[in-house]
Amino acid sequence: MHIDRLAVSRAATEILRVEDLSVAYGRQTVVRQAGFTLEKGKALALIGESGSGKSTIAKAVLGLLGRGEAKVTGRIRFKGEDLLALPERKFRALRGRAIGFVPQDPQNALNPVRTIGSQAHEAARLLDLPDGEAERRAILDTFALIGLADPERVYRSYPHQMSGGMLQRVLIGLAVLPRPDLIVADEPTSALDVTIQKRILDLLMELRGALDLSLLFITHDLALAAERTDEVVVLKDGAVQEIGASGQVFRAPASDYARRLQADVPALNPDRFRAVARRGQEARGGGGMGIRVEAVSKSFHADGRSLRAVDEVSFSVAAGRTHALVGESGSGKTTLVRLLLGLETPDAGRLTVDGQAVHGLSRDALRGLRRNLQLVYQNPFTSLDPTWKVRNLIREPLDQYRLGDRAEREARVLDTLRSVGLSEELLERRPAKLSGGQRQRVAIARALVLRPRVLVLDEPTSALDVTVQAGILQVLSELQAAHGLTYLFISHDLSVVRQIADTVTVLRHGRVVEQGAVEQVFERPAQAYTRALIDSIPRPRRAESAPAPARDHSYQS
Amino acid sequence: MSLSPHVSHAASRIAQAVVVVLLAYTATFLIINVLPGDPISNMLLDPDNGFTPEEIAPIIAYYGLDRPVPEQLWTALSRFVVGDLGISLRSNLPVSGLVLDALPSTLTLAASALAVSLLLAFLIAYASQNLPPRLGQGLIRAIPSVSLAIPSFIVGIFLIQVFAFQFGLFRITSPDSFAATLFAAIALGLPVSAQIAEVLITNLDHEARQDYFAVARSRGLSRAALFGRHQLRPSSLPVVTMVALAVGELLGGSLITEAIFGRKGIGSLVQGAASTQDFPVLLAVVSLAAVVFVAVNLLADLIYPLLDPRLRRRQAARIPAPDAETLV
Repeated sequence: MHIDRLAVSRAATEILRVEDLSVAYGRQTVVRQAGFTLEKGKALALIGESGSGKSTIAKAVLGLLGRGEAKVTGRIRFKGEDLLALPERKFRALRGRAIGFVPQDPQNALNPVRTIGSQAHEAARLLDLPDGEAERRAILDTFALIGLADPERVYRSYPHQMSGGMLQRVLIGLAVLPRPDLIVADEPTSALDVTIQKRILDLLMELRGALDLSLLFITHDLALAAERTDEVVVLKDGAVQEIGASGQVFRAPASDYARRLQADVPALNPDRFRAVARRGQEARGGGGMGIRVEAVSKSFHADGRSLRAVDEVSFSVAAGRTHALVGESGSGKTTLVRLLLGLETPDAGRLTVDGQAVHGLSRDALRGLRRNLQLVYQNPFTSLDPTWKVRNLIREPLDQYRLGDRAEREARVLDTLRSVGLSEELLERRPAKLSGGQRQRVAIARALVLRPRVLVLDEPTSALDVTVQAGILQVLSELQAAHGLTYLFISHDLSVVRQIADTVTVLRHGRVVEQGAVEQVFERPAQAYTRALIDSIPRPRRAESAPAPARDHSYQS
Repeated sequence: MSLSPHVSHAASRIAQAVVVVLLAYTATFLIINVLPGDPISNMLLDPDNGFTPEEIAPIIAYYGLDRPVPEQLWTALSRFVVGDLGISLRSNLPVSGLVLDALPSTLTLAASALAVSLLLAFLIAYASQNLPPRLGQGLIRAIPSVSLAIPSFIVGIFLIQVFAFQFGLFRITSPDSFAATLFAAIALGLPVSAQIAEVLITNLDHEARQDYFAVARSRGLSRAALFGRHQLRPSSLPVVTMVALAVGELLGGSLITEAIFGRKGIGSLVQGAASTQDFPVLLAVVSLAAVVFVAVNLLADLIYPLLDPRLRRRQAARIPAPDAETLV
């Protein structure tokens, strides 16, 4: 019996080998001749921004690309077998059993009309156990293994009765339940709160060790990839830019694109926008209070229960400075924003903006106040009316407040558009023809066109890629320096807060946990919760030795 | 207050339904009264009958038709509430008996038509998802909009022409035979099946794009299991809505279909009553239609929470909120 030694040794160490993979939807090629190898028991990250093709590669590995819609060429060898050559029926035998999948958004990854138990049985069936009761025991054991406190209750629950973090645990449980060799995890934590992100990632890594899994990890976060994986594949526009050991790529990226990604990771460059902001502040000097919140409380009542959404919160923001509100879902930050904008009335306490009380105003006075106080929403994909052109979107506030004549309004629109770094040829476009970053710049321009004194920024970059985020933060810093704007910056991303804010309030369950200057809170957190939040910022191994160049001077957005 | 939320929700919906039926009765009553003349005068003042107005007056008084309209309405309503539908002016028989005689034929037709339309809609929808594009999936998807464009009476005439006259599969002289009923049901159910199929296909397509469909697929489920559990089941809610709306259409359409297929049902009863201004019969049939329509929609409302657990919100609130601390 003749055995090819090379093939055997390869098969023993390799679990997944992607060769020359190209994927096209119609005429649009989204993956171009990508190739990489995942060794058994290792974790490999595909990293890139939206449109980089990383999710498409994951789908190709899982065989989830519609055969009619996508044209796939190349080879995907799983344990030596070419998945692309398998007919659907044979591929189905591998799904779940050999290759498990952990999706991005846990809230929509389970069928809402069926219990979690019944969906878990679909996975348990792959174990070929003798009966339903044995399957049930396997399911409950797995739920206990992934750290769910009450497996019986989870088994009986429907998806909408559970939090996002619990659902993601369930989904990880369902993926590992049939004991696959490979897990494909597509941004498994990007939809979760930061402290939960860290716990979910810890769980994935624990299971990887305990169950001898190989992991294909899709992420846009370079720091996360470096912290959690052995090897990274950097993708841009569907093509591989760089492959290497995670620490190596992270510390000393070889390709231009990876270098730019590294520069745009907020956690690595905490002082990137500091210089610009300082310049503006020094030029102006101190100038009163932008926002003052004094002992504000607000409760909501529903179904006979009462919830204290905001509980005696106080903070103030000096004019021309940036204050950050940090907290996870349910911390009360959204309610605070609504109170500040006069959309809700506080049960107790007082809010003033630019020296003027927000509540107890007449309709006209509130209208005048709002001219000075504008909001930028979280999601630029839904906050702009898709049927309007950019010109009208930005001009609408001017029309509403009847400012200036036609020519003056046009001039102001153009002026504002340029100030956020967009060119005038975008004026006639509608939002569908803009990228996410361009949309958010239009939303910022729309807020700025009235020349307000105070801007409330509600997670303005959480829907955007890191390099796009860096561009938006740059624009915000420059605008603040130029016009002395006061920012209230709502975020759950502490590394962004560290970059952009002067002062910070950490909120939890509607109460202030800790507040103060950003440097002080970040370097010497007094509360355990604040420390937990800061610890959840991904910290790649040996990150201390990483050079963190301040590259903002060379950055063109 | 001790009632469970589900029961008290159902009770309030039933109360609403009763109010709707009474309003429908009142509206019909008033519309009929706006029409010129009253049935007794119209019948008896014909010069050929030789009655004088003086002779007719006591008859009108006997039927209460000389009373003010609000008083007549009150009398009629209080009888309707206890199930007394009055006496037919034409035949002098109790209206309830006339309606009960005609009802089985119409109900059989409407129910068979509903069954036919659900079956057809399901087959079309299944094919739209599972037929390979090469084998005419596009053609299947075009069926609903094409068959919507054909009125049911044309279908009826066509079916009689082909299957009764050409192939002799049924005889129009015995309209209540199984075969004749089946073809009448096809004629009546076809446009309804097209509507249900369109809604079903749209929703199945929607479900197939959901994350949980892809995740379920990654669990190695077969096509059939995916279709049944993760496409059809979540799509069933809008189908229930469509069926509830379609019942009105089936009732209205059955009048025409009965005429074409020569069936003696509510359709022929209404036709006779309308031509002779037999008000009690007309009122009874319109109220019956209102009762059926309201009852079906009430049933649909009560079925929704069974199909979608997210609509059982009052009950869900009783499950203690998960504590993020300990569980995640």
